[in-house]
Amino acid sequence: MMFASLGLAASSIIERPLRSLLTSLGIIIGVAAVYAMLALGEGAKKQVEESLNSISTRTMQVWPDWNRRRSSQSRPAMPFKETDVKEMRSINGVYAATGTITGRNYTIATDRNDVEGNFLGVDPDQLKASGSEITLGENISFADIDTRRPVVIISEGIQQRLFDNQNPLGQNLKVNNVAFTVKGVATKADSDISFGNDDLFVWAPITVARERIIGGNRFVQNYVSNIRVVGELGSDLDRIESEMDIILRRSRDLRSGATPDYRVISSRGWREQAAEQTKGISFLLAAMGAISLLVGGVGVMNIMLVSVTERTREIGLRMALGAQKSNIMNQFLTEALLLCILSGIVGLGLGFFMSKFAMKTMEVELVFSPTVALVSFGSALFIGVVFGFLPARRAAQLNPIEALRHE
Amino acid sequence: MAVSSSIRPLISCQDLTKIYVMGKEKIRALDGVSLDIFEGEFVAIIGSSGSGKSTLMNMLGALDQPSSGQVTINGEKVGTMKSNKLADFRNRTIGFVFQQFQLLPKKSAKKNVELPLQYRKPKVRDAGEKALHALQLVGLKDRAEHRPTELSGGQQQRVAIARALAGSPKVLLADEPTGALDSKTSNDIMALMQDLNRQGITIIVITHEDEVAAYAERVIEFRDGRILSDIRQEAAA
Repeated sequence: MMFASLGLAASSIIERPLRSLLTSLGIIIGVAAVYAMLALGEGAKKQVEESLNSISTRTMQVWPDWNRRRSSQSRPAMPFKETDVKEMRSINGVYAATGTITGRNYTIATDRNDVEGNFLGVDPDQLKASGSEITLGENISFADIDTRRPVVIISEGIQQRLFDNQNPLGQNLKVNNVAFTVKGVATKADSDISFGNDDLFVWAPITVARERIIGGNRFVQNYVSNIRVVGELGSDLDRIESEMDIILRRSRDLRSGATPDYRVISSRGWREQAAEQTKGISFLLAAMGAISLLVGGVGVMNIMLVSVTERTREIGLRMALGAQKSNIMNQFLTEALLLCILSGIVGLGLGFFMSKFAMKTMEVELVFSPTVALVSFGSALFIGVVFGFLPARRAAQLNPIEALRHE
Repeated sequence: MAVSSSIRPLISCQDLTKIYVMGKEKIRALDGVSLDIFEGEFVAIIGSSGSGKSTLMNMLGALDQPSSGQVTINGEKVGTMKSNKLADFRNRTIGFVFQQFQLLPKKSAKKNVELPLQYRKPKVRDAGEKALHALQLVGLKDRAEHRPTELSGGQQQRVAIARALAGSPKVLLADEPTGALDSKTSNDIMALMQDLNRQGITIIVITHEDEVAAYAERVIEFRDGRILSDIRQEAAA
């Protein structure tokens, strides 16, 4: 019997193709919107999880607060000390802590060639903290820093420009006429600070860079110009940040309550904001989906009522020939349901392509999971049952005598 | 056909009354009708409109139930049956033929004839063969795949008769079966009914035309919800 009413419903839909299509439209759009909404929501969730795990989100940068210089009453912002970095490295949950001194527009030269590039004084943690990797040779060691060995690591950009992509290990290189030996080659991570020449980097032991190239600071011994601290996966970044604050305040003799002359910058705030925004879009889509499903459902109900009225005589005939109320009910419920199932399938397809398109054009991430498909498809089924029920019941309640006489 | 009163009647109406309430007015469509119809009979029920013959037809077809009294068909008390049982009963016992044919326009003749078998429990496995057999009985086997719109009025009514026969009912109930047909086609249809009756099928025809009633061997006339006359006659050829 179920099979028979399915066939009946199918032929009824096929016999009125235009009407069926127009009726389906609301459901199609609704399902597509629900699908896109869920995919977007899942995508946002995944994005947040991923970005919370990425190095750049786990990174907190400490810089002097340059704005303070504008106020004549306070002393200019001071750089930080190597001891600050050492203390931060020992905070529970810290993956890497590195102090850097930065210089800009240095001439980096071999015997044959020279380029303008970025020159930084670093410690061994800098590679870890920026997520870059050694591709050749070795990282700078603490021994290099203590013994002030004139060695450098170069970026792949430098390797290409100055060494024609040949093995540069052990070769000599001059930074502002100070000679260094190349110890390693590293990939350049996105999070590194640069002043133009994005792929041209030379990293030297921080002591050598400070004492021989960039120069000293008369106020601070063993200064570093900025600090980067990266938390371990899943660590409490807020706690680490407050412990960093404590270390800095003590080292800089700041009274409690005094405005700090440094800033801690991290990207996790705006990343969370971005996720919130995606949730907002997702909510908008959900509202749109719900409204189109509702409107679509009313459309289905309307068309089913028309169908019942149109086929009143047929219903009377079927009843006279032995159809029970449940048979008639099934017939119309199946028709509404089938209409919604077909719309649901088309809607899923539409939603899928819409989402793919949105992913390409709007740079949002969407996740396609069976759950997402199931939920949006289920919503179409739900609409079919809810809005098909009233017309089907009306059909089943018809009096066969009157129905047969219906004009 | 000789009828002995000792045989149990196929259809028995006892003191049937049907009252319709129209606003404040009560209309007695049937007023204490008692009537027996036996297996193998060809009965015509005649009367002008409002005489109560259509109301009786609805009772006999188990489409409606009396306000009081009882209808017994094939030993089952139809007058007090529940809706679902009533539908099943109609499906097994009654074959309907309507004035307007009532065929589904987008389905082939064969599909139309199969329709009552769809609602039969348990499921009929050879519905297609049964439908073709019924179409053969009305002489339309070669039109099985035609749609109603491709058939003449007379042919459509034959399909409807085949549909009524497909479920092997106890009685064929025809409500003005020639009302939409010209006189020659009417005669063909009535001759077909007569032929079917001779093969043993009980037939009840509701009509207001004397020419149609002439084919029956028993004519019951109604007026104002009561039986005016009940005459057995020699059927027309």
